[in-house]
Amino acid sequence: MRAALLGYVIFAVIILGGWELIARLDLVDPDLLPPFSQVCAILWQFMHDPRFTADLGVTAGEVGVAFLIAAPLAVSSGFLLGERLLLAQTFNPVVHFILAVPQSIFLPVFILAFGIGFLEKVLFGITHAYFVILVNSFAAVRSIPHPLIAVARVFGATPAQIYTRIYLPAMLPLVLTGLRIGMVLCIIGVLLAEMYASRSGIGRRIFGWGESAQIPELLAGIMLVSILTIAVNETMRLAELHVGRFYRRTSIA
Amino acid sequence: MPIIEVTSLAKDFRTGGAVVHALADVSFLVEEGRFVTLVGPSGCGKSTLLQILAGLISATRGEVRIAGEPIRAPMPDKIGMVFQDPTLLPWKTALANVEFPLDLRGIDRATRRKRCSELLKLVGLGEFADNYPHELSGGMRQRVAIARGLAPDPRLMLMDEPFAALDEQTRTRMGHDLLEIWEKTRKTVFFITHSLTEAIYLSETVLVMSARPGRILDTIPIEFPRPRELDLIGTERFGRIRNRIWHLIADTPK
Repeated sequence: MRAALLGYVIFAVIILGGWELIARLDLVDPDLLPPFSQVCAILWQFMHDPRFTADLGVTAGEVGVAFLIAAPLAVSSGFLLGERLLLAQTFNPVVHFILAVPQSIFLPVFILAFGIGFLEKVLFGITHAYFVILVNSFAAVRSIPHPLIAVARVFGATPAQIYTRIYLPAMLPLVLTGLRIGMVLCIIGVLLAEMYASRSGIGRRIFGWGESAQIPELLAGIMLVSILTIAVNETMRLAELHVGRFYRRTSIA
Repeated sequence: MPIIEVTSLAKDFRTGGAVVHALADVSFLVEEGRFVTLVGPSGCGKSTLLQILAGLISATRGEVRIAGEPIRAPMPDKIGMVFQDPTLLPWKTALANVEFPLDLRGIDRATRRKRCSELLKLVGLGEFADNYPHELSGGMRQRVAIARGLAPDPRLMLMDEPFAALDEQTRTRMGHDLLEIWEKTRKTVFFITHSLTEAIYLSETVLVMSARPGRILDTIPIEFPRPRELDLIGTERFGRIRNRIWHLIADTPK
């Protein structure tokens, strides 16, 4: 754990220090690669610009709403497919078919159907997150060790207790993995929709800076989104590791 | 009144189109407080029989009564069970695993803590209450499972080849310790194994089962005095009994 942390720090120092050095020594055109410190300064300004934070808020809102709708829907439909094998046999091929198609190609269809705006972004985020969460929660149900259910029954567990005491904790690690990947995909979906066509949001900003070659602003935006996404991902991964800590070294035997 | 009464029990499984006869016409009685072992070759339907006794699956024909009551579903107040694998909940500590049956029944924390700590001491794991299953050895996990089976204070303990997955030394030690526990608690134990030595060493009565379709070939009383020591296994009398059971199983035409 501490070694990994040290690894992150060394990695960051090399990349960011190297970047700063290359820019300062004029090894590349400063219009193409402004120094790291300058990008940081711009990022600092952004954080104090209410119009910028409002855009950030729009994106966060779209991602949040999309995820809050997708997550419970996807977990429960994955659970249903896991419990009803007839349903799974019917719908699993469809799910895997959809998973194989790059969803970004449907964006124009979404725009035609729902217009450009909050609804379209949220729906695009939902479709990005839904299927991967579903597949993971399906796998989670299928992975529940059957003998543990027999144990619970022998000791008098009611059906409700079997769900809360066996299913839930046994499913949790895989479901959390699905939620984490779903969250990342949800962010990708919303940003993609914003960059393609939008009036607000951080994706729109970044795309605009790219088009007008405002490189320091562009890099600052990219950096901010990266930091936020990494933070979300790592937080969810820590939860996942915490819950899954019993499973790495042991089976039920 | 016998605690287990099995009368003309049969179980068929349907796999695809074919019907497999797992058990054919099994009848026997077990008196309360006894240590009875059912021994038979692998795949003879021993585990199937135990699952029927536990109320986990239903019989095709015949009847099972536990303490006079026909069994149709698990009887958690009367029956405790130890499975072939420890089947502990990986996300619970050893103590919490022992508490699990009491927890299901809504018994308050302090009461179950106290009772289950004592049970962990009984199986020799007093020091390991806060360890998770993955931190325990295979033998220790099975000890936790035995304590869990005893937790609801059942009248009958069903044990499904509980030591089969352990190495020989651990297995012998566990059998010896199980006898000590049994002498202290005097629960009825119905034990299943394919090891003749284990069956004879542990029990007062050995039921010998045939290969599939399983039926009882003979009931053999084992009259060695208790407490029994491991040296018993090497004696000539022990060997004679083992040979007798071995021939019963081997000489029975399929």
